Amino acid sequence: MKDRAVPARTSTPEARASGVRPWHGYGLGLRTEHFDSVLDENPAVDWFEIISENFMVAGGKPRHYLDRIRARYPLAMHGVSLSIGSSDPFDSGYLRQLKQLVREVDPIWVSDHLCWTGNGGINSHDLLPLPYTEEAIVHVTSRIGEVQDFLGRELLIENVSTYVSFANAEMDEAAFLSEIVRRSGCRILLDVNNVYVGSRNHGFDADAYVAALPAERIWQIHLAGHSDYGDYVIDTHDHPVCEAVWELYARTLERLGPVTTMIERDDAIPPLADLVAELGRARRIGSATRRLQPVDCA
Amino acid sequence: MMRLDALERRFLAHVRGGQVFPREWCAQGLVDSDIGLAIYTNAYASRLREALEADHPLLALYLGDRLWAELCAGYIEAHPSRVRSLRHFGQHVPLWLAGNKPFSDHPAIAQLAAFERELLDVFDAADAARVDWSVMQAFDAAAWPGVRLRFHPSVRLLATTTNAVAIWRALKDGQSPPEAQPSTTPAHLLWRDVDRVSRFRAVDEVELLALRSFHSDRQDFAIVCERLARIRPANEVPALALGILRQWFEEGLIASAASDDSAGST
Repeated sequence: MKDRAVPARTSTPEARASGVRPWHGYGLGLRTEHFDSVLDENPAVDWFEIISENFMVAGGKPRHYLDRIRARYPLAMHGVSLSIGSSDPFDSGYLRQLKQLVREVDPIWVSDHLCWTGNGGINSHDLLPLPYTEEAIVHVTSRIGEVQDFLGRELLIENVSTYVSFANAEMDEAAFLSEIVRRSGCRILLDVNNVYVGSRNHGFDADAYVAALPAERIWQIHLAGHSDYGDYVIDTHDHPVCEAVWELYARTLERLGPVTTMIERDDAIPPLADLVAELGRARRIGSATRRLQPVDCA
Repeated sequence: MMRLDALERRFLAHVRGGQVFPREWCAQGLVDSDIGLAIYTNAYASRLREALEADHPLLALYLGDRLWAELCAGYIEAHPSRVRSLRHFGQHVPLWLAGNKPFSDHPAIAQLAAFERELLDVFDAADAARVDWSVMQAFDAAAWPGVRLRFHPSVRLLATTTNAVAIWRALKDGQSPPEAQPSTTPAHLLWRDVDRVSRFRAVDEVELLALRSFHSDRQDFAIVCERLARIRPANEVPALALGILRQWFEEGLIASAASDDSAGST
């Protein structure tokens, strides 16, 4: 592959205030529908996030576009199949493919979800909920360590939207995630929409959730839309980011300082220009945040 | 208290429509656990159906809603995903269709599915440089019998006993598909061209024999000509073989050519 694009925006107020957190600005999820637009329009996007599994193919158009877009924009790799919380052994073939892709893409970072996707060798292709127990913490921490050792780099782990919680929980979700981060040394990909969805479905305080996390470990933020059914909310990524999530995002930045941010859209995908415009709102919130001092990184 | 493995096993069984996850294992928050579990169950089935439809849009159109739903339900039950990428979830669809009624009563259905899967494989097969006819011209006459070809990684050969590809073509063009019937050609060749456009065309029995000999059996030019001489007059074979080879080079099917009888290779 060609040389990777250099990260942009190293001298913005956000960059100066981001402390030990690497600052990459504002990005979008790279989707097949936008491949040509990205190359033709050179959109004002600081970086793109790819779904790792979509590029674990030998060649053809996916790799052709990946190579060219990578030459222009920094890329982050975001996986959906690591299944870090599964009690199955790791899929060694998948890990090898992931490592190979990391070598080829040289991403700004690699992330996946705090969940499990399968059991007994069967993959649900969904992000399934973990019980918030010491047993799960020990299991997940060990597995994150294994992956980090194998890849030779730290992972970012994302909080997921959940619709069920378990009776054997020994702590809340924020405490569970924080403890895993503390023990494993991984970073957090904070999905603000997922925090909102969880707060609606489980009745916790979204701001208290964010406040409970180790701020200096939050290296990236996801924003996305969801489907609101009144009594419950489903994380569908098929709508623009809603007002309540924008407000939570603004409060989160006030608390954390600048955090590299991107918008995910996976269904009912609009023209690229619409998403770039939506990303502009994240930029405006980010630049307006009062917390432009480095976070305490003790 | 349940262990993590037991919880995951029971949870996935529920999501797949099997043994019910014990309600007492769930906490009851703002959303009742029955609703929460149903969200996961619905998402499981719909995600896999969507993956099959993304891979087989024209098969879905051909079958219609009722049979398509029957296919999805039967396939998801018989072949739960054991892959990490949904790209490969439907890899057993053609074989499953060929072995399960009512689909197996109509061989064109499984062959239509096989054609769509070959197109998927062509789309993201490995890349490789291609060589042109000048490579062959560079061999001296003594080297020609030993020439072997390496095909572009995207090249696929699909045996067709029905007119499944004609059905696919009609559906793709928004036309009514023809009645399913026996094929007039024994196979189709599929590949990705230099502009990364997926191509396909029918091949006759002569070209099929040449393709199988060069591509599948990795034989040299001399052996290929011997085989062709079994189905065509021997004096016609050299010109026939040359014509076929030239077309393959022009279509960008050949990644390299090398001869066992000389140092010349690409």
